[in-house]
Amino acid sequence: MAGFSELIKNFEKTRDYMRDFFIYGFKVRGEFSRKSSRTYDDEKRRAESWLGEYLRYDDSIRGRQISISVDSGHIYENPLYRAYYSKSFTDNDIKLHFYITDILQDNAQLTLKETVEEIDERFGVMFEEQTVRNKLKEYAEEGIITAKKQGKAAYFSLSADKCGDILNEFEGLKDAVTFFSEGGHFGIAGNSIMKAAGLKNNIFLIKHNYIVHTLEDILLPDIITAIDEKRYIEFRSFSAKRTDDEGRDFRAMPLEIFCSVQTGRRYLAAYIPEQKRFHAFRLDRIKKVVLKNACPDFNIIEEKFFANKPRCFGVSFGSRHEHGYTEPLVITFRTDEDYILNRLEREKRCGTLVNNNDGTCTLTLDVFDPNEAMHWAKSFIGRIIRIEGGSEAIRKKFNDDINRMYGMYCNETDDIQ
Amino acid sequence: MKQTIFSEIYGAYFRIVSEVLSKQAASENVINDIIIKNGFADSVLFVPQKLLPQDDNSDWGLLRKKDGKLISVLSHKPVQIMTALQKMWLKAILSDPRIRLFMTDEEISKLDKKLDGVKPLFTDRHFHFTDRYGDGDDYSSEEYIQHFRMVLKAAKERKILDIQFTSGHGKLMRGCYLPVKIEYSPKNDKFRTYCFLLKNGEVKKSGIMNIGRIDFISETGQVWENAVDMGDFPQKSHVDIKVTAERNAVERFMMEFASFKKQTDRDLETGECKIRLWYDNQNETEVLIRLLSFGPVLEILGPDGFRKQAAERVKKQYGLLHN
Repeated sequence: MAGFSELIKNFEKTRDYMRDFFIYGFKVRGEFSRKSSRTYDDEKRRAESWLGEYLRYDDSIRGRQISISVDSGHIYENPLYRAYYSKSFTDNDIKLHFYITDILQDNAQLTLKETVEEIDERFGVMFEEQTVRNKLKEYAEEGIITAKKQGKAAYFSLSADKCGDILNEFEGLKDAVTFFSEGGHFGIAGNSIMKAAGLKNNIFLIKHNYIVHTLEDILLPDIITAIDEKRYIEFRSFSAKRTDDEGRDFRAMPLEIFCSVQTGRRYLAAYIPEQKRFHAFRLDRIKKVVLKNACPDFNIIEEKFFANKPRCFGVSFGSRHEHGYTEPLVITFRTDEDYILNRLEREKRCGTLVNNNDGTCTLTLDVFDPNEAMHWAKSFIGRIIRIEGGSEAIRKKFNDDINRMYGMYCNETDDIQ
Repeated sequence: MKQTIFSEIYGAYFRIVSEVLSKQAASENVINDIIIKNGFADSVLFVPQKLLPQDDNSDWGLLRKKDGKLISVLSHKPVQIMTALQKMWLKAILSDPRIRLFMTDEEISKLDKKLDGVKPLFTDRHFHFTDRYGDGDDYSSEEYIQHFRMVLKAAKERKILDIQFTSGHGKLMRGCYLPVKIEYSPKNDKFRTYCFLLKNGEVKKSGIMNIGRIDFISETGQVWENAVDMGDFPQKSHVDIKVTAERNAVERFMMEFASFKKQTDRDLETGECKIRLWYDNQNETEVLIRLLSFGPVLEILGPDGFRKQAAERVKKQYGLLHN
C-alpha cells in the first residue's frame, strides 16, 4: 500500500466513510461503489488504525464486512475523536510550531525579522520571511501567540494561558472539562484540552450516546457564526434515499440545531427563502457550509420560527401550505398503571395530556406533522385504546401495522395469557 | 476569525513530538512507547523516520544524537497553550446549568472573568432537544448539587457513603455504598451512579442509583482499599431481530440503535437485515418498547422470552383495537 498516510487533508471524505462504517456495518467493499477501491482500502486502513479495538469483521458470502461496533454507553472517550487528530501537515509546519513556541519562551516579544533570525541562529534553519509571517499570523488567530503593533512593527509574544495552569487554577474545572468532553456539545474541543493537559476520564459514562455526532461537529462553527451574525449560508444537502454523490445546493438562513436524543439524528433547522418555508436538514447529510451575506429579515423570520416551533412534534414543519390545516391527533391511552401516566407526562413534548380519571388519559397533539408522532406512539403498544384525528391515512396505517404485528407474533402463541 | 478543531496543532503527531521533546534525553525505545501511547495503530511505522535524525536531513530537525541518546534541539519543554477555540468552548460550558455540579459560583465567576471578551463557541440558544424527557434532574437545587459532588468525590477517592434513596419501585433504601462511576443520559437529562452496596466490608451487590432520588447522604469516613472490579456489571443480554427494507427501516434502525454493540448481516436480495443486539439487562423494557415502535418493519426473532414479551403487548393492543 505505497503512499498510504495515516494523516488526511480532507475531513469530508473520511467523515463519509466513518459514518458508513459506523451506521452501515453491513456493507462490504464492493458496495462502496461511489469511491475507488484504492480510496476504500486507505479509508478502511485508517479506520483500523484509529479504531482498531472497536472494529468488527464479519465474513459473509458477499465478502468481508467491516463495521464499527461500540457499546457507547460504556466507553470513556469517543473513539471517533481520533479522526480530528489526524490532520496532515508539512515539515515546515511542525518545525515552525516547535521552533517559534520555543524561542518565544525566552523572549518577551519578537518582530518577524527577529523571529526569523533567532530560528536561524538557534536551529540553523533559514526560513523565508513570508513563511514565518504566515505561521505567526495563523498562530495569532489560533490564540497561541499574541500580536501587537508598536509603531510600524508588529511584535509577537507567546500567550501566557497554558492549558495545565488554567485547569489547575479553578477548582472543579478538570472534572467539568472531563464530563463535558463526553456529555456536552462539541466535546472534541474539551477532549483536546484534556489531551494537552494529560487528563483522562475514568469516571463519566454517557448513556444514549450517539458518538457519530462528533463527525458533524466540523460544520457547527460556521452554522453558529451564521446564526449569531444573522447571515445566510450555502451548503450541499444529500438525500437520505439517494446514494449518488451529486446532492443539491441550498441557500438558507440557519436558525437552530435540532437534536434528537432518541433517534440519533441532528438537524439544521433553517429558512429557505426561495421556497418561503422552514425545513430541517439532516446534519449528517450536509456538506460544504459556506457563510454568505447578512439576511435583512432575520429578526422577522426568527420570530415566526419560534412561533412555529412549539407545533413541531419532532423536526417536521409539515406541508400545511400544500395540504391546508391538519386535524390534531388525539390518542387515548389505558393508564391503569401509574408509570404509564408518568411516562406520558415526561414524554408528551408539546402535547396536552388530560387524565380522564377512569383509567385512561387523552393526549392531544396539535402539530404540523402528526405522522411524526406515530413512531413514538407505537412505543405504547398494548396501551392505546384509540386514535382519532390526524388523518385517515395515519389511522389506517396504525391499524394495519397492529394487524400485521399480530400476524407476525401472535398466530403461533396460543399460550400467551 | 475562522478556527477549526481539524488542525495539526491538536493532532496526534504534534502531541507525540511534544512529549518526546519534553524528555531530557530519550532512547528509541522510549520514543516508540510514546508513539504507541499517543498515536494511531500505524504511527510507529511513520513517525520515527521523520522524528529521528536522518543522514539525508529528511527528518523534522527536532532531535539530535548525543552520546547515543536522542536530545531535543529546543531550549525548553514544549508548552501547551490554550487556543482561542478551546477558550471559546470553556466559555460555552460556563453557561450550561450542569457546570454548577462541578464548580462553585465563585469559581465560575472567576473563570468567566478570565475569559472576558471570549465569545462562547455556542450557547443554549443554538440547540434544541426535540425529544428530551421533561422530568430531568434539577441542577439548580443546592441539595442536588451537594449530593452530586459527594458522589463524584467518593467515586474519585473510593470513599464509602451512607446513602438513603428511593428506588425506581418507590421503595426506601438505605445502606453503605461505594460509587464507582457516574452516568449521564442526554435523553433522560439525569445523572445516575454505578455503585456497590457494601455489608460487613464486602460487596453485597451492584446497582445503579439515580442521583436525583437520593434523600440523604453522608460520608462514613471509610475508604475502599481494594481494587474496584466492575466485572460483568452491568450484565448484558442479546436480542435477535430482523429489519425489512420497507420505510427506510434499516437506516432508521441503524441510526437509532447506533449506540449499541451489534452484529449485522444483510440479505442482498431482499434488503432485509438480521441483527444481534447486545443491551444492559436493566434496560430490557426500554429496548423492547423501542423495538416495538418500529412496527411491522422490525421483527423480534428471539430469544423466546423476549419475543414473548413483544407478543403479549401486541396481543393486548390488537385486543384494544378489535374488541
